[in-house]
Amino acid sequence: MMTLKHVLETDVLVVGGGIGGLCAAISAAQGGARVTVLEKANSRRSGSGATGNDHFTCYYPRAHGNDIGVILKELLDSMLGLCHDTSLSVRFLERSIGIADKWHEWGINMKPFGDDYIFMGHAFPNRPRIFLKYDGHNQKQALTAQAKKAGAKILNHHPVLDLLRNADGITGALALDMSEREPSYVVVRAKKVILATGAASRLYPPAGTPGWLFNTAFCPSCTGAAQAQGWRIGAKLVNMELPNRHAGPKYFSRAGKSTWIGVYRYPNGRLLGPFVTRATREVGDITCDVWNSAYTDVVMNGTGPAYIDCSGTSPDDMKFMRAGMISEGLGALLDHMDDKGIDPSRHGVEFMQYEPHLIGRGLEIDINGETSIPGLYAAGDMVGNFRSDISGAAVWGWMEGEHAAANLGAGAFDEAEKSDRAKERMAWYNTFMTRPSGAHWKEAALGLQQIMGDYAAAGPYRVRSETLLDAGLKYLGDLRRDAEASVRAANAHELLRTVEAFELMDNGEAIMHAARERRESRGMHLRSDYTFTNPLLNDKFLTVRRENGRVVTEWRPRRSA
Amino acid sequence: MPPVINQELCTGCGTCADICPMNVFEQDPPRTAPRIVYGEECWHCNACVLDCPKKAVTLRIPLNYMLLHVDASQFKE
Repeated sequence: MMTLKHVLETDVLVVGGGIGGLCAAISAAQGGARVTVLEKANSRRSGSGATGNDHFTCYYPRAHGNDIGVILKELLDSMLGLCHDTSLSVRFLERSIGIADKWHEWGINMKPFGDDYIFMGHAFPNRPRIFLKYDGHNQKQALTAQAKKAGAKILNHHPVLDLLRNADGITGALALDMSEREPSYVVVRAKKVILATGAASRLYPPAGTPGWLFNTAFCPSCTGAAQAQGWRIGAKLVNMELPNRHAGPKYFSRAGKSTWIGVYRYPNGRLLGPFVTRATREVGDITCDVWNSAYTDVVMNGTGPAYIDCSGTSPDDMKFMRAGMISEGLGALLDHMDDKGIDPSRHGVEFMQYEPHLIGRGLEIDINGETSIPGLYAAGDMVGNFRSDISGAAVWGWMEGEHAAANLGAGAFDEAEKSDRAKERMAWYNTFMTRPSGAHWKEAALGLQQIMGDYAAAGPYRVRSETLLDAGLKYLGDLRRDAEASVRAANAHELLRTVEAFELMDNGEAIMHAARERRESRGMHLRSDYTFTNPLLNDKFLTVRRENGRVVTEWRPRRSA
Repeated sequence: MPPVINQELCTGCGTCADICPMNVFEQDPPRTAPRIVYGEECWHCNACVLDCPKKAVTLRIPLNYMLLHVDASQFKE
């Protein structure tokens, strides 16, 4: 049986050592706070930015001019823009180039092409480009080094299991120490907690390779932990019901499609979209950012499949693309293509739409990055009312670290480890480890995916309805009950996967409640019982939270700048 | 299943096991080559390949991750 081995005290606790968490840790530590980062794996290589990235959305007046509104429009029109409170978007844009400057100082090459920032990719022809092209292959190591230099303490192999709160707000977190052979619990007392756990992968059956749970576009270790942990203590989630689906090479799931420099074609060579006839490093084919379901549509209607064709791209741009793929962290994909003799200058590579995941859907934050729970912040992919992937995590993480450090207050730490909640949760996790036999975590994880795929499906071609969602919620409750009663974890690794399965169930539950309340069709949220898009909901967001054991959904206006 | 460790090159430093975001490896006892215990949980992020100081790690991509492709000349016909 695992016991509580350590109780730590820190001003600012950062949950997750990804891009958002490390930037938060650096700014909070520089702001004078004592900072602890709890990281599930190792912050040098964890999360969706593990091995790189090459696009950093930002507003750079020298390149873009003095009207921030022009760049705001591009951001909102981009694939990132669906669910923004624009007050947050503007604040992000205002601070964004300052963070790019810092990254460059810290040894992440933000200017790989000369003395100034260069913007390219993901753009419409003749429109401003908002993606700073950079070389992020070492971003996690560089940020880890800076966080340590700033004085933050990073505890690797310490996944957070649950948040702890009292009536006034956040008080700390319960974590699992997996760094030793014998796992144990750690409680961290904290005045402020910044959640930065990334996307929620593994919610739905993998679209390309069913049964292969870990073949995901974003990091499969990111399982909506922040949404789940926030949900359990009553934090508001927002936009959970609006699905998003990434796209990329078929059967080898990986984000980074815009690093490819090519055009999308039908098998007979006809172009899928109207934007460009030849792709360059400056302007690629944005068709599938706009026509998100293209790859699925052309298979469903029999005119496909759809390929990315880089054979018309100049040799110089092909070299540039290869370098970009290394910056983006696509080394495994490149090695595999080399190994198989797949050469994008000679071969068309089929693309597909991956299964739904959560990115830019989740915790609602205010203008300081604080959630509806006082003292609890959220930065990065698990925020529901803003999205800008790597740069969003970096900039919001930074701003939240600053804000947290500047607002610590003089009060004493709450003895979070003595709370009933901490004791209950430790006892609950122990049941999985002490059971002599039982179900494997994978059964619970697959069960959740089955239910999500069948009862909370995302479009195109798949619908939701009140009856399906009601059934899904009932079945999910059954699965959860059975999983709680029977899963056995033989070791800390299996316990972690079990914890993730329950996190995903919490996310699934929140998604289904919100999807039930959104009585219209919008994007890939297709309701067979409400087939139209309701204009009255255009500028409204739907929040969902738990209160006294009940689920509460509420509509609110989108917050404008 | 991925990854694959070249036992002749591996010095047992444990870097791959320490940095793997998916905890695919186990090392026991220290200074021995890590074992690939949860290969099917590999995300193919390449961290172990990149960070191994002896370049002893490669990834074996599963057969079904097959990167479907065609000769681009078919687009010109």
